Amino acid sequence: MWPYYPDLLATPVPRYTSYPTAAEFGGGVDGGDMASALERVSGDVSLYVHIPFCEQICWYCGCNTTKSNRLDRLTSYLDALHREIALVGARLPSGARVRHMAFGGGSPNAISPTDFVRLMLSLTQAFALDRPTISIEIDPRSMSAGWAQALSGVGVQRASLGVQTFDPRLQQAIGREQPDHLIADCTALLREAGVTSLNFDLMYGLPGQTLTTLEETLDRAGELGADRIALFGYAHVPQMMPRQKRIDASALPNQATRFAMARRGHERLVDGGYVPVGFDHFALPGDPLAQAVLSGKLHRNFQGFTDDAAPVLIGLGASAISCFPHLIAQNEKNTGRYRMMLSQDRLTAVHGVRRSAEDRLRGAIIEGLLCQGKAPVAVALLNDLRERLQPFADRGLIGFADGVLSIQPFGLPYARAIAACFDPYRTVSQRKFSSAV
Amino acid sequence: MNDCSQCSVRERAICQSLSEEALGDLNRIGRRQMLKRGQTMTWQGDESVIVGNVIDGVFKLSASTMDGREQTLGIMFPSDFIGRPFGPKSNHSIVALTDAKVCTFMRAAFDDFARDHPDLEHKLLQRTLTELDRTRQWMLLLGRRSANERVAAFLLEMVARLAEPDTEGPIHLELPLGRQDIADLLGLTIETVSRQITQLREDGVIDTPNRRTVVILDRAALEACADEA
Repeated sequence: MWPYYPDLLATPVPRYTSYPTAAEFGGGVDGGDMASALERVSGDVSLYVHIPFCEQICWYCGCNTTKSNRLDRLTSYLDALHREIALVGARLPSGARVRHMAFGGGSPNAISPTDFVRLMLSLTQAFALDRPTISIEIDPRSMSAGWAQALSGVGVQRASLGVQTFDPRLQQAIGREQPDHLIADCTALLREAGVTSLNFDLMYGLPGQTLTTLEETLDRAGELGADRIALFGYAHVPQMMPRQKRIDASALPNQATRFAMARRGHERLVDGGYVPVGFDHFALPGDPLAQAVLSGKLHRNFQGFTDDAAPVLIGLGASAISCFPHLIAQNEKNTGRYRMMLSQDRLTAVHGVRRSAEDRLRGAIIEGLLCQGKAPVAVALLNDLRERLQPFADRGLIGFADGVLSIQPFGLPYARAIAACFDPYRTVSQRKFSSAV
Repeated sequence: MNDCSQCSVRERAICQSLSEEALGDLNRIGRRQMLKRGQTMTWQGDESVIVGNVIDGVFKLSASTMDGREQTLGIMFPSDFIGRPFGPKSNHSIVALTDAKVCTFMRAAFDDFARDHPDLEHKLLQRTLTELDRTRQWMLLLGRRSANERVAAFLLEMVARLAEPDTEGPIHLELPLGRQDIADLLGLTIETVSRQITQLREDGVIDTPNRRTVVILDRAALEACADEA
């Protein structure tokens, strides 16, 4: 049973999908840096392709996406993306092999299935694909037989569905109405298309949500055979995400209830046979993600917890982030400017951060704590951070032995907060981040 | 533009299912180009991205790399649909390896037309998937290390594209390409290609009754040669 210490959760902390985090990204990184980073790549590479469009925009969503109602905008975005694929691919040395590819958004299935296959054609031509594992985010509301055919023909093995909740009232409250049968039909289509690892994104902390409705949703996800479940806390930050203003803030659960939901969710899924993966993912024991946990090979990248161990991630598309050992570079977010830059054959990296040796060291500790629940830490560093770690040590949430700092199993809800102690950029708290629970 | 009813690939092309009326409409947005052997396909306008139907002849699709090398992305035969977006900005080129005829469309106009004709839209998806399969095969072929493997894989590719499916016994192929073209496609010298073909003949795997005809005598042996890595 997780103990509840509200004071340890009072300070918002990053999700650490990268280190340094996006809050540290600044100017001073451009297409030239991106080009030289690409030219130095060797070994395994993963690709992420961003499709910043959705047929309908959900009120809660914090992603970079817009409504796909204008065909000409979609078409010119895809033209630019094809151009970027060719430019980036041409820069990579021939030794760089692609073993993982992920399509995200937005909703990749807001484009036509033929356009998706065309993207695969360009990627196949531009990169040395080495029997890659291909994953894609799917909006069940825009799933179709044509898309199933495309996924099957392309050989997509992994899909992630934006489900959030099965409760119709809650769906209404967050502006994402998708009846149960629609999700069940989508699941069946994906299975027929050959998807062997299916993830459901689910949420707690929704306006009007109760422990009971949360449990019902988790049980239904299990019934439908989800191989993976990502259970996120809804982050209500309307000052940053104006579309969230449509959500009734007065109905949002308080922090104690959010904590109880995260805890109950964790228990329910573990009881249902799921292996906990990091602090918010779960996977059935046979799924590659659970296998990565069990073999100590779990990693974290911009898509969350992953079994992808590649040292280089290349982001393609507007706002996509590339991650190299020495550099994190984010593409232009504005699709108009993104298209304009590519029409001039320029790589579109416009901000990011260079990773110093110290950043890489801190990043490895943070990734270890979040993925393995432990990390080797030098005694000198531990002494420097004694004051920040003390509150966690006092509650018995962490232990230190043989040079390794470990988070106790019941300390999991505090993992992000513990990791943040190793993040020197967080010495002054910033209201920019979501609550850890 | 010529009448589609006279088209030599009418029964096999992507547009096969269209009614006479719809075909007429499609005809109005298309453009037919005749190319001489060695000629590069041209673009309509500066920015346009095109797709197209191969009517006659053989085309080579290629891309140039940053360091100026040329990589072949595939070859296209009559009734194939070139569905990947090709354009002047793509660093790609489409070259006729024989005298050839192609029917091209602005990609956006073709997609608009397909949206109004669901059957064609479905065929477009199928054809694009087929093109992806072939491209994957082709990239695998070029990824093979030895000349022996590449030539064997190329001949198997020609079997897949040119022979009647499920042929029993020896398979007769009329290669539409000369040895020099094959060498260019495979990134080999003409001498190497000739040497490999001679070797395959001496091993009893193929026969070459004349310059353009290849008879596959032992398909299993040819497959073994292609997968020796």
